[in-house]
Amino acid sequence: MTTTASPAPSNRGARPGTRAHRDRSPDAPARRRRRPLDWSLAGRVAVLVVAAALTLGPVLWTLSTSLRPPADSLRLPPSFLPLNPDVTSYAQVFKQVDMALLVLNSALVTGLIAVGQMVSAALAGYAFAFLRFRGKGALFSLVLATMMVPVQVTIVPVFMLIRGMGLSDTLLALILPAIPTAFGTFLMRQYFLGLPAELAEAAAIDGASPFRIFRSVYAPLAMPGLAIVGILAFNFHWNEFFRPLILTISEQNFTLPLGLVSLQGNMGTGSISVVLAGVVLSMIPALVVFLVGQRTLRDGLTAGAGK
Amino acid sequence: MSTTAAPEKGTPRLSENGRRRQPPPAGTAPSAARGSRAMAWLFLAPTIVGMGVFTLVPIVASILLAFFRWDILSAPQFAGLANFTEITSDPTVRVAFGNTIGFVVVAVVLQLGVALGLAVLVQERLPNWLRVFFRSAFFFPLILSAASVSIFMKYLFNEQFGVVNWLLGTVGVPAVPWLTTPVGSACVVVLVYVWQNFGFSFLLFLGALSSIPQETYEAASIDGATGWRKHRHVTLPLISPTTLVASVMAIINALQVFDQPYVLTRGGPGDSTRTAVMVIFETAFQRLEFGKASAIGVVLMLLIMAVTALQFRLSKRFVFYQ
Amino acid sequence: MGDSIRLRDISRRTALGALGVGILGATAASWPRLTATDIPGRNDGSLSIAILGTAADAAARQKAVDAFRRLHPEIKVRVQAIQAVDWKDFFSKILTMVAAGNPPDVVYVATEGAQLFAEKLAQPLDEFVRRDANVMAEYFADVHPSLVEAFMYRGSLYQLPMDWNAANMYYNTSVFSASGLARPADDWTHLDFRAALAAMRRANPDGFTPYYWTNRLFGGVVPWLYANGTSFLSEERAAGGDWLWDRFYPSDPSRASRSGGYLWEGPNADDPRVVEAFDFLRGLVKDGLGVRPEEGGGNSLVGLFASGRIGTTPAGGYWVQGLAEAGMGPDAFDVAFFPRWASGPASAAQRHQFGTAGYAIMKTAKDKDAAWEWVKFSASREAMELLFATPSTTPARRSMVNEALYSGKGPAHWKVFYDTLDRFPATGPIPAPPQQAAVETALIKNVSLAVSGDERQLKSALASLQGDLELALRRTP
Repeated sequence: MTTTASPAPSNRGARPGTRAHRDRSPDAPARRRRRPLDWSLAGRVAVLVVAAALTLGPVLWTLSTSLRPPADSLRLPPSFLPLNPDVTSYAQVFKQVDMALLVLNSALVTGLIAVGQMVSAALAGYAFAFLRFRGKGALFSLVLATMMVPVQVTIVPVFMLIRGMGLSDTLLALILPAIPTAFGTFLMRQYFLGLPAELAEAAAIDGASPFRIFRSVYAPLAMPGLAIVGILAFNFHWNEFFRPLILTISEQNFTLPLGLVSLQGNMGTGSISVVLAGVVLSMIPALVVFLVGQRTLRDGLTAGAGK
Repeated sequence: MSTTAAPEKGTPRLSENGRRRQPPPAGTAPSAARGSRAMAWLFLAPTIVGMGVFTLVPIVASILLAFFRWDILSAPQFAGLANFTEITSDPTVRVAFGNTIGFVVVAVVLQLGVALGLAVLVQERLPNWLRVFFRSAFFFPLILSAASVSIFMKYLFNEQFGVVNWLLGTVGVPAVPWLTTPVGSACVVVLVYVWQNFGFSFLLFLGALSSIPQETYEAASIDGATGWRKHRHVTLPLISPTTLVASVMAIINALQVFDQPYVLTRGGPGDSTRTAVMVIFETAFQRLEFGKASAIGVVLMLLIMAVTALQFRLSKRFVFYQ
Repeated sequence: MGDSIRLRDISRRTALGALGVGILGATAASWPRLTATDIPGRNDGSLSIAILGTAADAAARQKAVDAFRRLHPEIKVRVQAIQAVDWKDFFSKILTMVAAGNPPDVVYVATEGAQLFAEKLAQPLDEFVRRDANVMAEYFADVHPSLVEAFMYRGSLYQLPMDWNAANMYYNTSVFSASGLARPADDWTHLDFRAALAAMRRANPDGFTPYYWTNRLFGGVVPWLYANGTSFLSEERAAGGDWLWDRFYPSDPSRASRSGGYLWEGPNADDPRVVEAFDFLRGLVKDGLGVRPEEGGGNSLVGLFASGRIGTTPAGGYWVQGLAEAGMGPDAFDVAFFPRWASGPASAAQRHQFGTAGYAIMKTAKDKDAAWEWVKFSASREAMELLFATPSTTPARRSMVNEALYSGKGPAHWKVFYDTLDRFPATGPIPAPPQQAAVETALIKNVSLAVSGDERQLKSALASLQGDLELALRRTP
């Protein structure tokens, strides 16, 4: 995994300033010889450190602010590290919203969507990759085209459909429409195409049926791809705000992001640290899934997008 | 698990399959493996039926609804093209579409630029633990919800009490009215959006870069290409398929931006950060003009399709497949 | 070798199978949750009551429901607390429920939506009020007629005010004294106010804001417009309503001025006095005395005020509880009337702005008599004491705005809250015609521009406001 440690081209650095300077300077080669780990690497790391600080800083500020009493919320200079943590805001979150129910609802909705997407995307992706049927190209384009439709455009008819099915204000109203997935289907098709076609031929010669070939040969090999579909579905729907906002009404049916809105209070009566404590709590499950699935996600995403 | 090796092996193959060699060449596989047509439709059923019911039917319904006036409380009334003529003369709708296009251009360029730049920096000669750290750090914002990100960013960008202005103040920059001026709030929406989303493009680029064989660079440096010229003539062409995918996805996402402006600025001041999707939401769910909202939605769908088609057309000229 | 592969295969398949069975089992077990059939009172003919609320006040709510059930064991009640960031959000949620085919029977509606509901969704209460006139007499005697008039629409009454809030001026007492300022007079003018801000500005460091305000309908520009005797919409009164005023407020000093309700039917953003009020706010922003208001802002307000980084801000009685929870002592802040205008026709009479809320019965309610029993019960002293045990809003009953409610929390001059009505009977509700959502959007989106640029930008923002309002009012709501 350790790559490209070859010391040769030291001015691979992406910092234009350093490079220009070195290119002009006549004694550059000499200096380079003296310091094998040269400024180019240091410069690159410096740029990356700044970028990482800008990326993580706001999150650290959120964490440390949620762990301070409300009166200290917007203290300047800011503190990014939660020294002397104070958890009263977290207790307040549990007092103001039914956290257990919110988490249960979010877990049910997100979990079932993820499983549903994995199953349906695996089947459809496999069909688009290996099976033979009329209009395959057109149908695949159509599936991809649905990615371009903003959810706000279709939400009203979806809402009426849900009403017609008698599912208004239920968790199923959130789950069912989210199961077919264009992106997941695309990803799984790419993934299956990356697997050797010869396996199918061998299995077919052994007399296995197409479904058996799928189940016993390809589906197990495609597990990492499926994991990506699952992780992405989890991440997206765990954080989803717009559809729950429209499709659920009773507080018993709220998912986490919706429940957290109530922490903000009406007319500026909420407390920042309580709101931020809610934000931090809601990001924990997503963080766990991310940490567990990070490697799979990275490998799979990079593979899937090569196209 | 033994299967984790599969994607790595699969990577180079994928980039070939998509375009050049379609394996297995049609007809070579025994027909039993490729299944009967009915079998294929069984595989497709959950996705196709689901999409038909929950996406295609609603799209058609939306298009039809665009020709009606409907407030949910009473029966819809046929209105011909009235909704369309109204939205073309509505300054808010026009401004919102302009904002959306401007936002997409700036946010996508910034997102892809930052992602590619950082991916190049991370990919090159870096201790492995650092690479893992940076990769995780840049991906991290993606696991947060856009709504909660916007909530804490709103505090950070506060003109009087925010950390951003305090930081700028330490280097002598006077307080910037981020969220209360048209230019300032547009900047915040773009920055917050890019902050959260660049990690996705970053990962895509990182994958593409890691699949470029080292020998290609060595050959290039023998030919005298260094630094920027090396990237210009080797890296960019080799990752162009990924750039296409990353930009198509980034543009489609950016065209639908809602959560960030909704929470950060509510579309203001004036209409300066109102996006097309926000106008759809406000028209439908706050003013109950569902026909008009559908008409705006139809126009937005057409715009997204046109942009995507244009991208694929351009890609024929600029994307290089090995 | 081959064996081990097969073994691994089998164990993986078993694991996957178990996982599949587990998922199916979990789905089956949670089926009532997925279909919401586990929510008590759903679709069983209970009286369904929708309120804008959080789980935070669920306990108080439950006490009120229990008390109601003791009184009316025959009526089943289901309260739905609906989460929304503001009233506009809440109303669109209610409309969604109507669209979904299960509208609530009773809805808690604030001034913002009173006329929308009256025009489209709600049932007049006139007949019920007349029927229970004896009980209602006690209620009306305790409630200021200005609040009641806010819920009159074209001569009929649609809601009974339960709680309300005026835009008063909160100030940080230690900031005031450190800046050499005394408590403002009850009739201080906008110029006195500006001078006070300037004194605070001089006495305090950079990270301090003398006047913090947010861009919204309640407590944004409207109190300043009212102070200057104008509004961004034209204001007229409908005829009618005498049935109520004659019966319940015959000897009220303001009886002659009461009407069948407010009518806001035309834009008025080009009125010179509107321009004047906006220009005053623009001056505050320009001179660093007030902030440029943020859209949808206000979430950081309590913390900033409690930590002494804001001098003054407009708010109502609803703010006391939040400040107490943020750790502000009863003497650390106080409240004064909003300033009056120093010159011009409005200088003689002070007019303030308020918003109120109460239950409306939906036209579609299955059992309107049961619904009325709930509305009537909620307006009783017993119910209101259960519901408004803390000063997180101002009760509509004058007798409940008392020492006990504010003891230990402040402010010292809590009397200001109800005096805003009693001493200034011209005090009016925030303007909210049936097209409120579009009107509010039009206002909010032009305010920041109007107050944060030069005079030319002010003019063009108000011209744009005028145009947007015209469009908004032309729509059928």
